[in-house]
Amino acid sequence: MVVITTAKPDEEVFEALERYDIKKTVVVSCGTCAALCQTGGTEGLENWTKKLEEKGIQVAAGIVSDDVCDNRVMMKDLRKIDDELKDADGILTLSCGLGEQSLVKVLGRKYPEKPVIIANNTEFMGMTERIGRFYMRCRGCGDCLLNDTGGICPITTCAKSLMNGPCGGMVEGMCEVGDYERDCGWVLIYKRLEEMGRLDLFEKLRDSFDWSERGHQREVVFR
Amino acid sequence: MANRPFSKLGEGLAKGEFVLTGELEPEKTCDLSHTIKEANEMAPYVHAANVTDSPLGIVTINSMAASNIIQRETGLECVWQLTVRDVNKLGIAGMIMGGHALGLRNVLSLTGDHTALGDMPESKPVFDLDSSTLVKLVREMVDEESINGHEIECPPTFHVGAAANPNADPMGAEILKIGRKAEAGAEFLQTQVVYDIDRTIEFLTEIKKYKVPVLLGIFPMKSYGIAKGFDTFVPGVSVPPDILAKWKGIKKNITDKKEKKAAYDEANYEFFKPFITELKKKGLLAGVHCMAVHYTRIFPKLIEVIKA
Ligand code: SF4
Ligand code: SF4
Repeated sequence: MVVITTAKPDEEVFEALERYDIKKTVVVSCGTCAALCQTGGTEGLENWTKKLEEKGIQVAAGIVSDDVCDNRVMMKDLRKIDDELKDADGILTLSCGLGEQSLVKVLGRKYPEKPVIIANNTEFMGMTERIGRFYMRCRGCGDCLLNDTGGICPITTCAKSLMNGPCGGMVEGMCEVGDYERDCGWVLIYKRLEEMGRLDLFEKLRDSFDWSERGHQREVVFR
Repeated sequence: MANRPFSKLGEGLAKGEFVLTGELEPEKTCDLSHTIKEANEMAPYVHAANVTDSPLGIVTINSMAASNIIQRETGLECVWQLTVRDVNKLGIAGMIMGGHALGLRNVLSLTGDHTALGDMPESKPVFDLDSSTLVKLVREMVDEESINGHEIECPPTFHVGAAANPNADPMGAEILKIGRKAEAGAEFLQTQVVYDIDRTIEFLTEIKKYKVPVLLGIFPMKSYGIAKGFDTFVPGVSVPPDILAKWKGIKKNITDKKEKKAAYDEANYEFFKPFITELKKKGLLAGVHCMAVHYTRIFPKLIEVIKA
């Protein structure tokens, strides 16, 4: 699994740096998912260091970190560059939104006044076909239906996340959204269940999704 | 549980009358006078008329409000089309009660075209329910007089219908989906437009097992331009080439406006009469749903078709 990110337009990032008056920054780049998406990693760090310096923003330190989203890793890594951090106006992170918030949490303990600016947009949890081809196939709905739907997720492969598809927008197996260029998720489910001889599962009337525990903040805490 | 039927449409279906419904498409305006005019024109011929709910995701006046006003102003009974696109389950349950309080008694459960297709693509696509679970919700509110076990003091009364698509490919998926709608409690089905008689017979025969009365969707074509447009722009539906050629001939060969109109009307009559008569004879239809908006002058001819 990879958290898929895409780069924000440079102007948007520079605007944010300006908004927080950042003239000297630390750059934290994610060496895992963002590296795979070419929005972080060593290459991202080098690119951004160059771009920042061109704009007259000093880079006090730059690190590539394995798991920016892991609070423990960030605690360890930030400790190593504490002198530079003390001296910087903030952090620019080349990571996903989880990484950014992990940084905010860890940094906040010692430097609550320092902003963290994110250079990427977080798209989705992605299934990798190959580098540069990532697909949203799970939205973490919290009540997995795959055992009922032949192992194909209706929440992400159906443009409307329907529980009982296909809808009238399906034409020859394709979805009305995106000009009939993408498969209709419910036809994929139908075909898969048909191949398995389990159309009885397709025929089942499913209740609407139960949002009672999932329409607000979620956490998994078991110890 | 309140006694059925609740509406003229419900009564017609219960009595086994051959039902005719029309379609009204309110637009992006708060003034319904144009729609009301068409409602008045079709009222003598139809049991009820569908009122569309922002088709293609293009925002129009709300269909519940429009249905209420049309019923009040013209006496024509409406089939309130309600999509699950824009409102969540809680909101829709409230609308079902509101719709009843406004005098609506027929509701057609639809998924609705995705917001991304329309003219407010920045809107959130909701789809909390789907076309089957909306049917189920209505039946729960009407028959069990409750929502999630909580009693509704004065419960709504509705006949709830759903859509069916004889053009669907793969057809198997559509058939099983209709089975779900039947299980959820759909009381009637209105089909997508279809021109192929063999396909229609096959489809209607296949879904007969669900024992839900079917109103066949038809689209009499007012002009060659409309026929061509329908063929080109309605995804998944095609107008057979011989019909297109015939309509083209009328456009080309007849110059007098009045004669041209009469020729189009006659051509529709000639096509739909044997089509519907055959399906009727086979006992596959409970009625017809005419989706040709802005073509109200066809209704006297349609009545002839239906009575034939
Ligand atoms: S149903 Fe889809 S979104 Fe939900 S957990 Fe399963 S794969 Fe993920
Ligand atoms: S066409 Fe298929 S994938 Fe697209 S919205 Fe309808 S059911 Fe979902």
